[in-house]
Amino acid sequence: MIRGGHQHGFRGWARYAPFVPILLLFLGSLTFALTKSSQLERDMRIAVTQNMLWVVTQTQREILELTLAASLIEQDAALITQRFDLTLSRLNLLLQGPQARYLEDLGHLDEVRAIAAALIALDPVENADHEGLHAALSALGQELNPRINRIANEVMMADWAKAAARLDDYRATQRLIILAVALAMLAALAISWLLLRNQRQLHHAELEQLRAANLLEQERDISAMYRDFAAIVSHQIRTPLSLIDSAMHRLSRKGAAVTAQDVQERRLIVGDAVGRLTRLVDTVLLLAKLDNAQLQARFVPLAMGDLVQGIVAEARLRHPGRVLQVSCAEGPLLARGDAHLIGHVIDNLLSNALKYSPADSPVELRVFPQGQSLCCAVTDRGAGIPESDRPHLFDRYFRGNAPEAGDGTGLGLALARELAEFQSGRIILESWQGKGSVFTLWLPAARAERTLADTRDSAGPQERLHG
Amino acid sequence: MKYISPIAGAVALLIPGLEAHAEMPILTLSSAQHSTEITLTRDALKALPQHRLRTSTTVTDGRPVFEGFLMRDLLETHGLVGETVIARALNDYQIEIPLTDFEEFDVIGALYMDGEALSPRDKGPIWIVYPREDHRELQDIRYDTRWVWQLVSLHVE
Repeated sequence: MIRGGHQHGFRGWARYAPFVPILLLFLGSLTFALTKSSQLERDMRIAVTQNMLWVVTQTQREILELTLAASLIEQDAALITQRFDLTLSRLNLLLQGPQARYLEDLGHLDEVRAIAAALIALDPVENADHEGLHAALSALGQELNPRINRIANEVMMADWAKAAARLDDYRATQRLIILAVALAMLAALAISWLLLRNQRQLHHAELEQLRAANLLEQERDISAMYRDFAAIVSHQIRTPLSLIDSAMHRLSRKGAAVTAQDVQERRLIVGDAVGRLTRLVDTVLLLAKLDNAQLQARFVPLAMGDLVQGIVAEARLRHPGRVLQVSCAEGPLLARGDAHLIGHVIDNLLSNALKYSPADSPVELRVFPQGQSLCCAVTDRGAGIPESDRPHLFDRYFRGNAPEAGDGTGLGLALARELAEFQSGRIILESWQGKGSVFTLWLPAARAERTLADTRDSAGPQERLHG
Repeated sequence: MKYISPIAGAVALLIPGLEAHAEMPILTLSSAQHSTEITLTRDALKALPQHRLRTSTTVTDGRPVFEGFLMRDLLETHGLVGETVIARALNDYQIEIPLTDFEEFDVIGALYMDGEALSPRDKGPIWIVYPREDHRELQDIRYDTRWVWQLVSLHVE
């Protein structure tokens, strides 16, 4: 068991082996897609903050504003200074950090530096000659305007080229992401499929184990039952065998003095013993077949009146001294069942009634219809069955405390009930202490169109039941 | 809306040496609720509780240290309440900033960068600076546009 469990565990792990590469594929593609898309997001964020064209055109605008202020007929020194400062602040911005690097890439950083230097040379705060300075500023502004315009132009071109290249990049990245996600989805599908399959296999294996355990349990129950069974039955076989043995012994001791009457007496004893043995073997066989679900039966409509008469006639032969009364109700009295099995049940009830009632009391057998059923009641005038015994009366190996019960197997009534139930019937017990008992076999009633005689002769449809 | 001429703000720049002429107004405050305008000198702004902030920017290299007043302190001091503020720069650049920005983040009106007074020839005299390194959500173009430099007026609505 332990070895088996270990092997099962190992197989369990092996079962997960195909997951590893697929899981890696799934996680790998997903990670790749996520990394790429976050790169894309970052790149777009940086791209959107670059606003170089705006910065350059704003510079151009300030240069124009300064030129305009310096060219006015009515000069305003404060306005010119303010315009000068603003222009310088724009140029300073162009010469700082990311803007400077951009211009350097474009090859215009030095030119912007030169422009700023040219402007600073005409700083209104440092120059006293306002009129000459304003004329110079106006001239410088007119000279700078086309130069800064050309830079703006190139910045725009560069921006567009970068934007186009970036869009190409985005498209390629997007394609990769889609591919990676598709791959991840495929991997996820594969994992789901494998999981589902493994679960099914596991479930199947569990069911198998359960079934095996059940079988083992059943096997144990059955072997235990047959141990009891063998013990009781062997005792039951020994009794008639010893009867036969002693009868034969007596005959052989008498030797030549044996009379015809002696032989007749011994023959009756031996016949009875053989009959008991036969019935015992019958009972055992039937029980074994029931237990192994191998009991075969032919369910047909049976004329119960005829069946009961036959059984009673045989019982009278076995019990010559006893009074057996039979009464049948009017009508066809058809029941559905197997003739042999029903015969066994009634014979058993009858033997039981004879056994547990005084030899001088009659045993009565009545056949009558009751609703959708057909009943066969066996009444004895025995001591009745104690209240405490009744619930167990039909259990296997149950033997009551009555003195007559001593040599029973405890199987007869159990088999009778099991056979009744096997034929969709049942046995009902009524008992009165000191007065007697009634065992009634209830069987499903059959319709009148077919009888046992019909089925015997015709090749009509037959019902055959296996177990 | 009433704005003083940008020239008024620039008057101070006529004469070199900002610190020497701290009495010239450099910022105008107005509100939709009040008809009067408040003009503030550099000294008045420096009188507010000063706040330091080290952060990278989108237009410079490195991580300069900015120093100035908290925007919410400025508005609170002058009893200006509303939903948004329209910030305007010397070159007429204009943008609407929700006042919640100043409540949620320590946004400053920087007067100094790396210990030096911001010049109108660069991004001075006032540069609105967000603590973009302390809050990831501030690293966004929608916030970058609110970094108004050469700030001259604020109008609360």
